[in-house]
Amino acid sequence: MTSAAISSASAAGQPAPAGRADGRIDCDVLVIGGGSTGAGVARDAAMRGFSTVLVERADMATGTTGRFHGLLHSGGRYVVKDPKAAQECIGENIILRRIADDCIEDTGGLFVTTPIDDPGYADRFIQGCKATGIEVQEIGVAEALRREPRLNPRISRALVVPDATVDAWKMVWSCVRSATQYGATVLPYHEVISVIRDGSRVAGAVVRGPGGELRIRAEVVINAAGAWAGKIAAMAGCEVKVRPGKGIMVATNHRLVNTVVNRCEMPADGDILVPIRTVSVIGTTDTLVDDPDDWPISRQEIDEMLTAGENLVPGFRESRTLRVWGGVRPLFQDEGPAETRDVTRAHAVLDHRARDGVEAFLTITGGKFCTYRLMAQDAVDAACGVLGTSRPCRTADEPLPDSGEQKFYRIGSRLAGRERTLHDEQLICECELVRRGALEEAIARRGAASLDDIRRALRLGMGPCQGGFCTYRATGILHQATNLSAAEANRALLEFLQERWKGLHPLLHGDQLRQAWLDDWIFQGVLDVEHLPLAEQERARV
Amino acid sequence: MTAQAGTRAADAVVLGAGMAGLTAAVRLAEAGLRVVTVAKGLGSLRLAPATIDILGYGPGRVDSPAEALPAFVAAHPHHPYAAVTPGALADSLRWLAGHVDAYAYVGDASANMLLPTAIGVPRPSAVVPETMAGGDIRSLRCVAIAGLRALKDFHPALAAENLRAAAAAGGLALDARPVLLSPPTDGEADVGTLSFARRFEDPGFRGAVAAELRAALRDEEAVGFPAVLGFDQVRSVWTELQEAIGRPVFEIPTMPPSVPGMRLARALQERLRRAGGRFVLGAQAVGPEIRDGRLAGVRIRAGTRETVRLARWIVLATGGLASGGIEVELGGAARESALGLPVFGPDPGEPAFLPGYLDEHPMGTIGLRVDARLRPVGRDGEPVRQNVLAAGAVIGGARPWREKSGDGISLSTGYLAAGTILEDAG
Repeated sequence: MTSAAISSASAAGQPAPAGRADGRIDCDVLVIGGGSTGAGVARDAAMRGFSTVLVERADMATGTTGRFHGLLHSGGRYVVKDPKAAQECIGENIILRRIADDCIEDTGGLFVTTPIDDPGYADRFIQGCKATGIEVQEIGVAEALRREPRLNPRISRALVVPDATVDAWKMVWSCVRSATQYGATVLPYHEVISVIRDGSRVAGAVVRGPGGELRIRAEVVINAAGAWAGKIAAMAGCEVKVRPGKGIMVATNHRLVNTVVNRCEMPADGDILVPIRTVSVIGTTDTLVDDPDDWPISRQEIDEMLTAGENLVPGFRESRTLRVWGGVRPLFQDEGPAETRDVTRAHAVLDHRARDGVEAFLTITGGKFCTYRLMAQDAVDAACGVLGTSRPCRTADEPLPDSGEQKFYRIGSRLAGRERTLHDEQLICECELVRRGALEEAIARRGAASLDDIRRALRLGMGPCQGGFCTYRATGILHQATNLSAAEANRALLEFLQERWKGLHPLLHGDQLRQAWLDDWIFQGVLDVEHLPLAEQERARV
Repeated sequence: MTAQAGTRAADAVVLGAGMAGLTAAVRLAEAGLRVVTVAKGLGSLRLAPATIDILGYGPGRVDSPAEALPAFVAAHPHHPYAAVTPGALADSLRWLAGHVDAYAYVGDASANMLLPTAIGVPRPSAVVPETMAGGDIRSLRCVAIAGLRALKDFHPALAAENLRAAAAAGGLALDARPVLLSPPTDGEADVGTLSFARRFEDPGFRGAVAAELRAALRDEEAVGFPAVLGFDQVRSVWTELQEAIGRPVFEIPTMPPSVPGMRLARALQERLRRAGGRFVLGAQAVGPEIRDGRLAGVRIRAGTRETVRLARWIVLATGGLASGGIEVELGGAARESALGLPVFGPDPGEPAFLPGYLDEHPMGTIGLRVDARLRPVGRDGEPVRQNVLAAGAVIGGARPWREKSGDGISLSTGYLAAGTILEDAG
């Protein structure tokens, strides 16, 4: 019982995809991939009046989009190395602040010259910012330390840029809500099993979902599968070389800084510390991997991240590290170098008619989270070309649901909400201040049987105790609020514990190990979850 | 670094105030020794279900710990139970039952009960508070699992459904169903376990619960409650509630903070106080005090101040990974945090943790090794010091939560550590 289709009564006059009852859907635009790009494409296409369907093999934003540090680039990172990418970033940064303020925290950013950085880079950085239109202001070291007292006091220069942080899940779900308001159908947990070919053209895809197979016919198919785009293209008989570039990140249990802090240096491993929601994230690395679904995280990589953190914030190694995770960037290269940082971070729209002789099939790849809207615009512009029509993009002007009032997220927002209901409502996740009402509302909205889906909506279990205290409560509430059997609820609990463990075990040590053992005491010692009754096939899955 | 002026050497310093530390401290103090208990926090006992689980799985489910232990110890030669004889185990259980005034502890090592957890798994326990023993699913036919609306740490519907399934899988005909009660909580939607325990000591509140229950119960139904039926007055709360509804009532342990754990910790601390034992809270042992090549005491840090506590014996009951008795760095290097004693953990090169949450992680059995008198030993198997005894989870070789052996190990080794000292003291 995973999420059903997400769609709403379409706004008046918007064409909705036809069909469903017989396992068929006909639409104008089929979008493959439920990351930020796919969600952006679906919204853009629906807003231009195309009947649109999006399919995603797992939950929305579970690929690369849900697995980064949460930086909304000012573009500063690219001003010296890749000015075109920098220009795109600042342009989108300004637009997203306008249309998606509810998803963004206006932390601001600092580029600081640390003792290991080239002191001359700062001047090139300032020139680059001016050339690409990024506002930059140099402040004194004393002022930088006043703003961020834990910063390395041995920095020699500090430059202020309009970096920010963004809640990727919120952004993607806002796009989904907007898209469905414009009549789109969004289908998480629907995996493409084949691409339908109609002679030389692509005519849709067959997907497998919780309710069985669906045959989706479309006038144009947009492959927005990110690091997995090569796999989808191959199903259509096209070769697209997308190299998965792995980056790992480590989160600490609270915010060590309140401003995004970057090393003022050419892009390198561990060059950024991002305060996102209740935690800080140090990132990242860049290593080519073969398979976007299967790659390890080594202790050495973790150690390098901790060392990098120590350079930005002395004492970082003694802070409590919650978990480690990685994501894979989609690095597009038709021909070219193997060093991933040298591959352009700009995006590309491939029309496979010109490239491979395959019609009505587009691939949008490369790029990065903060340019997702622009990528979507370019992809839908190209789709208009395929469909022989010209309809203007409006996504830069129309705010996302709950945004548009320049009310940026603040770290205290959730606490303020909690204080209003202090005596009236139970607090289910103390770390992330998740109220019972919010949990029940999310369960109802998603119809989800997965606590991990709920986590992405509410940050349930993402704080210091990593689910130790909220998991049992949330399972009990999930069991009550849905028609789940106890065996299904048990499975949800065990799967959530496994999901949390995945990010914990590679770096467990120090205080977080104590916490993990206390959590084990609760689950194994007190509740005895290892003997929960499960259906046999469920036991095999867990 | 010298001892504080006016500080006499204690006979024994006990480090840690969990089950193991309190047991050792009370036994020593009652034998007339000058005992100082030094604890960083209030002790993990307050988080524990306070059932004395001796051995529940090894790895198959154990019906009789007494019968299973010899083979279990033979298969696990470095397990803490290797130092605990059957007679000593029985003595420690009797000792505990004689030291809790609030209510009786029932059961012995000869047979496990199967008591429901808060998620409805029947869990083997040997010696438990009398308020819990009625939950043994083998003697139940028909049970209502009673939840309290304002208590988020107990979900009766899930517990009842799991209990039914588990009983059926074990060939038992057990009918279990949830009943959700909404006694008045002064408008508070989020009431914790201890707060509920206090409310249950109010006859008016208890009456409201009984009235709601009488209306909801079917014939022949026993009632399982979250373990919040009173704190100091648990016995009278439990007895009167049963009388008021005319049904057997039993308690089910909850997640931390645990009311039965707090009752037990309170009982043992009270005994320690009465026996003249001292209790120093908020202080952490940070190293040994060696004088003339002999362990003469322990260095203690409280806040930024470091002092020395001199003692003839030290009982190390600082706990394992969860309590900070064993600390592990990134990369797996581990140390015993109070005295720097040798730690036995995963071999170098062996992964500390495995990818599956429920795998048996090599790091899980990390800890000290001890000889038959509970003296920590080095790599050569010889005691490192003659006057240090280890008790509880700081001793490695066990998987207490998986085996359901935690408080059995802590009680028996705490009892025995005191026994070694009393023998040496003559």
